[in-house]
Amino acid sequence: MSKYDIFFKLAKEAGIENCELTVSESYSFGFAIFHAQVEQYEVNNGFAIAARGIINGKAGSASCDVFNKEKAKYLVDEIVKNAKVMEDDDPVFIYPGSPKYKKVNTVNKELRDIPEDKKIKDALELERLVRAKDQRIVEVANIYYQEDHSSFTIMNSLGLKLSQKNNNFFMYAAAVAKQGDEVKSNGAFFLDNDYSKLDLNKLADEAVNNTVSQLGGEACESNNYKVVLDRDAFSSLINAYISSTDAEEVQKKTSLFIGKLGQKIASKKVTIEDAPLAKSLFARSFDNEGVATYNKPIIKNGILQTYLYNLTTAAKDGVESTGNGFGSAAKSGVSPVFLRMKPGKLSLNELFAKVNNGVYITEINGLHAGLDPQTGNFSLQSAGFLIKDGKKDRPLDVITISGNLIKLFEGIEEVGNDSKVFAQAVENPSVIVNKLAVGGK
Amino acid sequence: MISKKIAIEVLNAALSTGADYAEIFFEDSHANSLSIENGKVNVSTSNSMCGVGLRLLKENKSVYGYTNNLTKAGLIKHALSLAKSFNGERLLTVTDFQNIKCKNRNPITDSFDDHSREEKIALLKGGIEEINNLKDPRIVRTIAGFSNNYRFVQLYNSKGKTFKRATEFGRVGFTVVCADENGFESSFEGPGTQVGYKYFTDVINVKKVAKETAEKALKMLTAAECPSGKMPVVIGNGWGGVLFHEACGHPLEASAVSKGLSPFAGKVGQKVASSVVSAVDDSTMPGAWGSIDIDDEGNLGTKRLLIKNGILQDYMIDDFNGRRINREGNGACRRQNYRFCPTSRMSNTYICNGKSTKEEIIKATKLGLYAVSFKGGSVDPSTSEFNFGCSEAYIIRDGKICEPVKGATLVGKGHEILEKIDMVANDLDVGQGMCGAASGSIRTNVGQPTLRVSEITVGGRGGELK
Repeated sequence: MSKYDIFFKLAKEAGIENCELTVSESYSFGFAIFHAQVEQYEVNNGFAIAARGIINGKAGSASCDVFNKEKAKYLVDEIVKNAKVMEDDDPVFIYPGSPKYKKVNTVNKELRDIPEDKKIKDALELERLVRAKDQRIVEVANIYYQEDHSSFTIMNSLGLKLSQKNNNFFMYAAAVAKQGDEVKSNGAFFLDNDYSKLDLNKLADEAVNNTVSQLGGEACESNNYKVVLDRDAFSSLINAYISSTDAEEVQKKTSLFIGKLGQKIASKKVTIEDAPLAKSLFARSFDNEGVATYNKPIIKNGILQTYLYNLTTAAKDGVESTGNGFGSAAKSGVSPVFLRMKPGKLSLNELFAKVNNGVYITEINGLHAGLDPQTGNFSLQSAGFLIKDGKKDRPLDVITISGNLIKLFEGIEEVGNDSKVFAQAVENPSVIVNKLAVGGK
Repeated sequence: MISKKIAIEVLNAALSTGADYAEIFFEDSHANSLSIENGKVNVSTSNSMCGVGLRLLKENKSVYGYTNNLTKAGLIKHALSLAKSFNGERLLTVTDFQNIKCKNRNPITDSFDDHSREEKIALLKGGIEEINNLKDPRIVRTIAGFSNNYRFVQLYNSKGKTFKRATEFGRVGFTVVCADENGFESSFEGPGTQVGYKYFTDVINVKKVAKETAEKALKMLTAAECPSGKMPVVIGNGWGGVLFHEACGHPLEASAVSKGLSPFAGKVGQKVASSVVSAVDDSTMPGAWGSIDIDDEGNLGTKRLLIKNGILQDYMIDDFNGRRINREGNGACRRQNYRFCPTSRMSNTYICNGKSTKEEIIKATKLGLYAVSFKGGSVDPSTSEFNFGCSEAYIIRDGKICEPVKGATLVGKGHEILEKIDMVANDLDVGQGMCGAASGSIRTNVGQPTLRVSEITVGGRGGELK
């Protein structure tokens, strides 16, 4: 007997044909350091439950954060009322299960056992290091530590029950540098679930360099430049570009990749896969609909290999789900799990040498407002450096970059060997782009 | 709800190790949302939230944690586990509570819960029909949404104060995507209110909102790409205020100011803007989207004068961040829900009317950009560096509004822009948005009259402005 049986019993009584519950439980612990003291400390025990049920071919949904008999009734009542007004003709599914699920290991059992005191002591040391490394660092805005342990369970009226656990931690150092009247802030992060990999000295170096190196900048002339896109800045553009492989966007004719299957959508140097089964913090053996995941190339040598599907979009195209159903109970959705771009052979310095004269873009901001995923057009706040005579030169202050994602990916001339994993579940290196409009003076 | 008796026990457990303040924030909320895509309802969902956030303060340290275990034993266990962060002697004992007296400027009238899903769907479909009546084949996707929330909160704190308050808010949204052989353009409008359902039937015209959303998308579809470089920019009234919200409002929050992490820190009484600029953050506008009668730590909502004739007057302050600058909270402490530790946030923030007219401002501009509306943006409060994407913009030539341009992004530093505002009109208006920051996503109004900034860096794909 499971405590959730009551939901399935009430659902059946209410005439719901098939239904599912997803249960998310989490424990998180975090703190922030300011001026050598713990300034904020948080411990949370989270619980969320989402339910979906099908009546007459229409799916209704509801969610809550406490589970008892009263809430089970609430979920069932709301599913019935919500399903009643649904008009969408898209097919909906409660999934009986895939033949086989690969095991993925996403939990580091030691992480939670490392004493909080040790983590706090390390964060205090990190603050000291950041402050000590350069006298232009006038403030450490905060040192932030967050640790999450979560579990996700899906169960449905067809007898499917799957569960997965994940954990990770995140340490971030935010520094403020000053030179004359000029103030710059930046930082560096470390994300993993193996605490022993945390190198405080390296993280402090990175935070300090990222911040002080921006001092003394001014805008460059507005022009088209050959560009090295730093891996950090590039990762957000990869996410934006790959979002167009969502089959729902393709079916609704708002994707950049309509009719592009098997065609060139990037330079031949670009190979990107969705790797849910790769060893990573983001690994998943099943999606939110219960479909088994698998690794698959999305772009191979510049050619688009596949769209990403959930059960609904796959049924509409007459194909199998790719195990990318990561929507909510309220709205089906599609997304990749972990995007990995194949690295090249050149180091970052070799990329500068190859560009010789151009711009090195290290930061991109404001994607939610400045990038239109439906056209690929973007115009974004940016920061970086000039590249002069094959070397990184002076910093650039308050610049914009603008262009189009398709042209940018087609214009990738070289791929670096400096791959890094970013919190948005992307692993990629820096790249050279043949031409980008930089707005400055 | 949490009873007074349990609250006393939980707070005293929380205070057992020397915290100088403790607070129980109980929330019991529910929400419904609907979405209609291309004429058919494709989302209808409901959510219920019920939990407690406990906050303990001692000097400059804050300890927070939430739980869904609302039994007496569960809450006491939670309080004791948070109290472990301190190791001192008890400073305070709570024995009783007094109700905080506060006005109710946002009473629940014409509750959204009293209107059926079918009625809300009919309201949205009225708007969709207006869009369809345009019979423009370039409109490829319409999404209409209705969401409403009921929020009941109850607070007990170690100052012996308590309050409970129920509020309700609702929002309608239209997104229209159009396309031609050259690409796509989308636009969004989303009016919201705390006045009740009648706002959408009696106060505003939902059909008109829908039609204008579609017309804007169509207009921008054929617009040329915006030029880039530094230029004078006239910013439209209403939603144009998002620039002030991001670039100046966030750096005026105590979370940034109290640690010296803002260009405005320590500058009260000093000139921070051109003398034509006055600005307020007003939580007391009845029924407005960003209004609160009482904040999430029990301080009364107020109207805060932030800047008067260019001189900095005050900040948005919460009690905790106020400690570093010897100030009490001024009713600006907010959180999305019980899962977030609250902090200083904005409510209805706007630049006040000036003496010019919109026409005078346009006429006085020889060559520049007229940025009517924005899609949103972001800011780093410590440097006030911001970026905004324009959703509707035009080139101004010889004092006249000329061709529309798309893809414009404004970037700069908020404190520098404030000094470059050289004309402010008298046509103040506000727009509704959701503001995301440390304590989650909250309702805020942005606003301003039409105004001109003598020079802003504009990013766009259209080459040099000629």
